[in-house]
Amino acid sequence: MQTSTAKRFTIFNHKGGVGKTTLTMNIAAVLTELGKRVLLVDSDPQCNLTSYLLEEPVVDDILDSSDSGAGRTIWSAVKPIVEGEGPPRLVEPFATSVEGLYLVPGDIQLSEFEGYLSDSWIESLQRRIRGFKGTTAISDVVTALVTALDIDYVFYDSGPNIGPLNRAVLLDCDYFIVPVACDLFSLRALKTLGRTLVNWIATWETVADLAPAGTSLLPGHPCFLGYIPERFKIYAGALTVQHARFLGQIDREIQSQIVNVLRTQGPGLVSRRKRYALGALKDFGTLVAASQREGRPLYNVSSGTAGQRRLAYEALFGIAKAIDQYVIDAGRSP
Amino acid sequence: MTRKKKPSDAEIVEGLLRVYDRYGDSIALFATHIYTALASSKSLSEQVHSLRWRVKERDRLALKLGRKIEEARRAGEPFSISEENLLTEVTDLAGVRILHLYTRQFARIHTVVLKILEDQQYPLVEGPFARTWDDESREFFQTCGIETQVSPNMYTSVHYVVGSASRVPMTCEIQVRTLMEEVWGEVDHAFNYPEPAKDLVTREQLKALAKVTAGASRLVDTIYLTHGLSEGIGN
Repeated sequence: MQTSTAKRFTIFNHKGGVGKTTLTMNIAAVLTELGKRVLLVDSDPQCNLTSYLLEEPVVDDILDSSDSGAGRTIWSAVKPIVEGEGPPRLVEPFATSVEGLYLVPGDIQLSEFEGYLSDSWIESLQRRIRGFKGTTAISDVVTALVTALDIDYVFYDSGPNIGPLNRAVLLDCDYFIVPVACDLFSLRALKTLGRTLVNWIATWETVADLAPAGTSLLPGHPCFLGYIPERFKIYAGALTVQHARFLGQIDREIQSQIVNVLRTQGPGLVSRRKRYALGALKDFGTLVAASQREGRPLYNVSSGTAGQRRLAYEALFGIAKAIDQYVIDAGRSP
Repeated sequence: MTRKKKPSDAEIVEGLLRVYDRYGDSIALFATHIYTALASSKSLSEQVHSLRWRVKERDRLALKLGRKIEEARRAGEPFSISEENLLTEVTDLAGVRILHLYTRQFARIHTVVLKILEDQQYPLVEGPFARTWDDESREFFQTCGIETQVSPNMYTSVHYVVGSASRVPMTCEIQVRTLMEEVWGEVDHAFNYPEPAKDLVTREQLKALAKVTAGASRLVDTIYLTHGLSEGIGN
């Protein structure tokens, strides 16, 4: 069980190209403005978040040395488990350009770990200790880091799929947020997302019931906090007709495919917010490209206009504030 | 303080069934764990004809609970099953059966089962005890060190109740019996359960079947025993 008080989040949608990584990095950055200490964990073998925050030569170096004893990626941390050498290793996270924001880099070799996690899941179902250790490996690393760095929020950046790695990450999270782009594929993805989550949660609950007493387990109750509509276009200060229609559609689909489906599994799996939209992020175009190039948040890049940067900050601040407020309120009335 | 209205029997059963529903998948998984632990043992498979596992059916459980409430009331005792202890108090929610051919195999089966449970760290919370109505069987089980109980149902079977040693504790009943007894048990179950058969003919037929079963089991024992003797094993 989790002993740390840091809340764990993932901004998750298995549909790719919905801006997960950009959103994760920027919300985390704004949370540091609220005085929070935030740990980013790049759990995507594609390492987009890592490339976002660290210079290319640094990334190359990290990936080249991740197999060694001095490795600092999330793979370096879980490697001893995979190789049966002992407990996960405590890696030292990287400080980023944003104060109070830390990163455990991703690793291409996480794809190998993915296979291992798949076996671990089956072994957990068979009540084998090795299976539990594999399934909770990343979670155990994060627990140790949260204590070591006195972290308030953890954000996992997940790859766009519903594989074993994301299953282990989702089941480790206290909350998840769904980014939805204004397109038909994004809407369709919600259906599989809701069903898959319920399936994971139900199966893990069964596994956890039968786990030997004292086994380290994933908490297994990720609560849907809300969604963030993204990349809609605004002309002359108003939404385009097409995107306005999409926003309504997104809200209805979230209600039927995520909220209603999760509620069948347990009331605690859905936040008590009145509205599930946590805010919205319009298409910030050039700011996004600059942010990724410079490794800085959208509101701190060198390109775009001051007005654009202010708008980006306000939108992100609103989302971060909604997240933080919810966590504070939930802590008061458990 | 507001006084709570005493729940009706149906409400009590409903509450217990909700617990059963909530943990249904876990009970099934636990049964397969025990089944797999037993089925994957080579030493056991040498003695055993087949293994089966099952989860107690919801309707059967409902009837059993209703009957237990009634029994407790008649005896003037409090009903001992609660939503907190259902999974351990009803010991056969998960069940595994070990079926073998002739009685004497049991001695070896017993040793192996205990060894497997110990290796897998499943505690034995009840038993083993043998239910039997036959003097000869009673004597045999006693030589194996098994406590015997008189079976009013006229069948012979050995019971173990195993704990799950898990975060949510539950139990599984392992029954060991011969194939012949299994046939009798299945027929009896179909006509005599959960309510005893009402008509005399069925009741008489089932009793006679029990005797035939015991006789048939005894004959199988004899065949194996004398075969063993002729091979020089029994010397």
